[in-house]
Amino acid sequence: MNVLAAEWLKIRSIRSNHLILAISLGAILLAVAVAMSAIAMYDSAPASMRAGARIAELEEVVLIVPQLAMGIMGVLAITSEYATGLIRTSFALVPGRRPVLAAKSVVVGGLGLVVGPVVVFATYAVSWWMLESRYPVAGFADRLPTLVTSSLTVAVYALLGLGLGAVLRSAAGAIAILVGLVYVIPMIVGNLPEPWSERLGSVMLGALPREITGEDLTSSVYGALLSPFAAAVALVLYAAVPLGSGLLLIRGRDV
Amino acid sequence: MCGAPAFPDREGVIEVKQLTKRYGRARAVDDLSFTVQPGHVTGFLGPNGAGKSTTMRLILGLDTPTSGEALVNGRRYATLGRPLHEVGALLDANALHPTRSAYNHLLWMARSNGIDPVRVAEVLEQVGLAGVARKKAGGFSLGMKQRLGIAAALLGDPGVLLFDEPVNGLDPDGVRWIRDLMRSLAAEGRTVLLSSHLMSEMALTADRIVIVGRGRLIVETSVKDLTERYDSLESAYLALTAGSVEYGAAR
Repeated sequence: MNVLAAEWLKIRSIRSNHLILAISLGAILLAVAVAMSAIAMYDSAPASMRAGARIAELEEVVLIVPQLAMGIMGVLAITSEYATGLIRTSFALVPGRRPVLAAKSVVVGGLGLVVGPVVVFATYAVSWWMLESRYPVAGFADRLPTLVTSSLTVAVYALLGLGLGAVLRSAAGAIAILVGLVYVIPMIVGNLPEPWSERLGSVMLGALPREITGEDLTSSVYGALLSPFAAAVALVLYAAVPLGSGLLLIRGRDV
Repeated sequence: MCGAPAFPDREGVIEVKQLTKRYGRARAVDDLSFTVQPGHVTGFLGPNGAGKSTTMRLILGLDTPTSGEALVNGRRYATLGRPLHEVGALLDANALHPTRSAYNHLLWMARSNGIDPVRVAEVLEQVGLAGVARKKAGGFSLGMKQRLGIAAALLGDPGVLLFDEPVNGLDPDGVRWIRDLMRSLAAEGRTVLLSSHLMSEMALTADRIVIVGRGRLIVETSVKDLTERYDSLESAYLALTAGSVEYGAAR
């Protein structure tokens, strides 16, 4: 518990982490802005086109903001210590080392578990209140399972970032991989010839929330080949593999 | 190693035994043995790259020795439960997060080892940083960072203290303060291992001297012995390390 209290204080005593939280929650305002522009578009469209008006789920549009922001918080939670040399103090104070990384996981993962649901459910509320009179917005009960799984991805990103940071010990490398996983690799996979595009698209992080709930993919760039169980396992592995590697490596390295 | 027996006779003793650390082909520390006893300030001297900082990292379990071992209070550092209560160390005054306040820098350390937060205010007062405790540590001068690092080392009221170049960046007032602090810590029966390149300062502060060169022990003796055989500690150091000045051996 001592180590956990220490790591919690470390995270909250750095101003950039407050900024990261603000940016994450700012995704809700982004959703409001998107909704306002969608309303303006609807209202200026000829009546004949209004009936068929469709809009992507706002949560899915803005979710990338807290995902990346919390992923970067996870990266910096450990790489900033390697950059400053503070990691020596951390490891001298806790010679077992693994409790340090475990406590960081609890802190950034816990923040992700708060930030993710707040952003996802608030954004759903925004789309319901602002868009429902003009666009088809799926009812809360229908959307609930995917809202839950989508919101969990924020914590997965936070832990993925932390794990990458622990393995690579460099913010530049870890953030590059993180952004690659969110942006670059899905784009490449989307342009591969079939069946590889669908196969690999099914294991992309962004595909997993809907594969877990089995929700129909209306306009997804991803594949949907995984069973709910396999998709849930894959989601866990995205966090567990880098973190587990970090826990294995952290003991034996000189710092 | 849990439940290792206590070693009352080795309380406060740092034992470095046939310690070797290789980085690739370079031997940063080479079959080094010496003992540091409580109640003294022991000066740890050697040219740049002689292996002083590596030895300190090995004592603190931060690097794994290639062979040999380092013991504190008769135990390997890595087996200590809440090490701040037994060993305090200042390795690098710049090892802090630039936007975290001095107070929070010490508070997280206190928390991690179950130390009463009251101690944070006490050590800040002791090192003269109470007035800037809420300021970001990144804005501190090197001298102030050294004081903050010393405060961190004192946090757990440990019996064994390691300081790597704590005098760098301090003003004359601060140099005097460190000298008095080191001597009073030793007078309280603590073990103080202090590395520095400032020979005149070391002559005033230390009672015992360990000199290393190219990772090997050159001499382990008293300041008195050296100043009697050579006319000053500086002359002794320069004569003894003449063949050992070498750069780039260690990282």
